[in-house]
Amino acid sequence: MVEAVHHLLSGFAIATTLDNLLYCLVGAIIGTLVGILPGLGPIAGIALLIPATFGLNATSAIIMLAGIYYGAMYGGSTTSILINVPGETASVITCIDGYQMAQKGRAGQALAICAIGSFIAGSLGILGMVFLAPPLAEAALAFGPPEFFSLMVFGFIVLSNVTGTSLLKSLMMAVLGLIIGTIGLDPVTGLARFTFGSTYLLGGIEFVAVAIGLFGIGEVLINVEQPSEALEQKVLVPRLRELYPTLEDLKQSIGAILRGTGIGFGVGLVPGPAPVIATYASYKVEKSIARHPEEFGQGAIQGVAGPESANNSACQSAFIPLFVLGIPFAPPTAILLGAFLIHGVTPGPMLIGQHPELFWGVVASMYIGNFILLLLNLPFVPLFANILRTPKKVLLPLVILFCITGMYTVNNSVFDIWTMLAFGALGYLMRQWAYEGAPLLLALVLGPKLEVAFRQSLMISHGDFGIFVTRPVSLVFLLATFVFLILPLLRRLLLAARRKITSPA
Amino acid sequence: MGAGLILFFFGAITTVLALQLPIGTLRAAGSGFFPLCLGLLLAVLAFFHLMSLRFQATDAARRPQADHDTPRSQTQMLLSLGTMALATLLLDPLGYPLVSFLLMVALLRVLGTQQWPFNLLVSLITATASYFFFVQWLKIPLPKGWIGL
Repeated sequence: MVEAVHHLLSGFAIATTLDNLLYCLVGAIIGTLVGILPGLGPIAGIALLIPATFGLNATSAIIMLAGIYYGAMYGGSTTSILINVPGETASVITCIDGYQMAQKGRAGQALAICAIGSFIAGSLGILGMVFLAPPLAEAALAFGPPEFFSLMVFGFIVLSNVTGTSLLKSLMMAVLGLIIGTIGLDPVTGLARFTFGSTYLLGGIEFVAVAIGLFGIGEVLINVEQPSEALEQKVLVPRLRELYPTLEDLKQSIGAILRGTGIGFGVGLVPGPAPVIATYASYKVEKSIARHPEEFGQGAIQGVAGPESANNSACQSAFIPLFVLGIPFAPPTAILLGAFLIHGVTPGPMLIGQHPELFWGVVASMYIGNFILLLLNLPFVPLFANILRTPKKVLLPLVILFCITGMYTVNNSVFDIWTMLAFGALGYLMRQWAYEGAPLLLALVLGPKLEVAFRQSLMISHGDFGIFVTRPVSLVFLLATFVFLILPLLRRLLLAARRKITSPA
Repeated sequence: MGAGLILFFFGAITTVLALQLPIGTLRAAGSGFFPLCLGLLLAVLAFFHLMSLRFQATDAARRPQADHDTPRSQTQMLLSLGTMALATLLLDPLGYPLVSFLLMVALLRVLGTQQWPFNLLVSLITATASYFFFVQWLKIPLPKGWIGL
C-alpha cells in the first residue's frame, strides 16, 4: 500500500513535467472535440493522432492518447444534453434525462453534474487502478501461452455476446478479423501468407487503416446519407452562470455518482464495451432504487449523474487488463495497444516492473487529465455548444480530409489510404447489415498474439489439446467462455417455450 | 442473406488458400494451420447464420409485413466515396496541397454547399491550414506532386 502511494507520487513527478502536462491538455481538448463532433469517435480519434506522437517518448505519447479516450467520453455527454444526439454510444443513456433537463432550462446543471460526477468517478477509478493493477500483474506472471489463449478466447466471446444484435454475427466478425490478422509474415516461421506477391502486404494490414476506415470513414458515410436537419437542429447554449449545480442537486447526485463509480469500475474489468454496459446498468440501478422512479425520463438528475460516473469509471478500469495482461478488452484500448507496440513497449505482466515511469506516469496523468477536463468542460461549454452549430456539410469534408491526411502520415503510404477506404466501405456495409466492427478490430489487433499462444501451447503439449483444460486457470476461462456461449441459446429457448405457452393452441 | 453468403465464400476461399501453405502437424503447426482453422470456422458460422436466416424468413412470411424504412439517398454517399478514391489516385501526381483543396471543393459541393465563393474560400483556408500544420509544422513528407510544395 505504502509502496503504491510512493510509486504514484513518482508518477505525479513525471506527469507534471511541463511537456507531459501540455500533452495531457492537448489530448483532453482533442478528445473533448472528438466526443462532441459527429463522424469521429474515440477509436478513430486515437488512431488518427498516433502519427502525431511518433516524435514523442512512449510515456508522453500514451499520456496524450489516453487523454483523447477519456476526453471523448466527457465530450460525448455534451451533445447528449444539448441536442439529444449522443456523441458516443456510451452517452446514449444521458440523452434520456440530460436532454429533458435541458428542455426545462437546466442544461447548465446537467452538464455540471456530468463533469463533477465524471471527475469523482475518474479519480476514484484511478485509485482503484493504483491498488489493483500491481497485484494483478504479479498474478498474471504465472500465465503461460495456454492461459493467454483461453483468456483471449474468453474476451472475444464476451465481447461478441454483448455487442450487436446477434452473437453469431459478432463471432463471424471476430473470426474475419483474425483471418485479416493472418495476412503478412507468419509470426512464428516468417513465411509470407495471403500476400499475393505484394510487398505492401508483407507487414500485414495496417490496423490504424482498419480503425479509421471502420470507425471514421464508415461513420462519415452513414452521416452523409442521413438528412442534414438531424444534426443542424437548435442547440441549447447554457450561460456561464447557469453552470453551477445547487446544493440540492449535489445532495441528490452524490449517491448516484458513488454507485455509478462502483458499477463502472467492475464492468470495466471484464471484456466488452464497458462504458456502454456500465451506463445502462447504472441507470437501471438508479431507477430501481429511486424514491420517485416516475421522474426518470422527465429530467431526473440521478439519471445523468449515475451513468456519466459509471462511464468514466469504466474507462479508467478498462486500462487495467491492457496494462497488466497486455490484452485489451475493448476497441479503444486495442488501439492503445497498437500505439504501445509502435512505441516499442509491450504491455503485460512485466510492464510495471520494466517501465515503471510509463505506468505510473500515465496513471498520474489520468488524474491530472480528469482535473483538466473538469476545469475545461464547465467554462468552455458555451464554446463547445457553438462548435455544434457548424453545419454537417462543412464538418464532414473536414473529417474526411483529416482522415486521409492522418492515414498517409502513419507510413507515408498511399496504399494505406486505399486500405482505409476499403474498410470505410466495409464499415458502411456492416452498419447497413447490422454487423459490429468492434469484434473485428479487436480480433485484428489480438490475432497474432492469439496465434502465437495457440501454437506455443500445442508445442508445449506435443500436440495435445488437453493442455487448455488441464491447466486450472485456462480451464476457468474456457468454462466461463462456454457459459457465455450457451447463455444466448438458453435465453432463446426459454423465450420460445414461453411463447409456446402463451400462444393459443 | 447477402452478407452471410459473402462470409461463407470468404471462409471457403481462406480454407482453400490456407491448404496451399504448409499445414505441419499438431506438435509443430505450420503457417497454414491457424488460417485453415479460421477459414473453416468462418464457413461453418456463416452456414449456421444462413440456416437461421432461412428459418426466420419462414417465420416472417407468416407474420404481416412491417413498414419499410424511409428510402435514403445513397447518391451522396457513393459520390463522397468516389471523390475520396479519386483524391487518393491523384495524391502522388498532383501533390497534397492541390489535392486537399480539390477534395474539399468537391466534397463541399457533393454534400450540398451550393455557393461557389463560400465553397472556394472554405477549401482554400482548409487546404492552406492543413498544409502549414502537417507539412511546415509537423514536417510530414506529404506528396509534393508537380507543384513542388
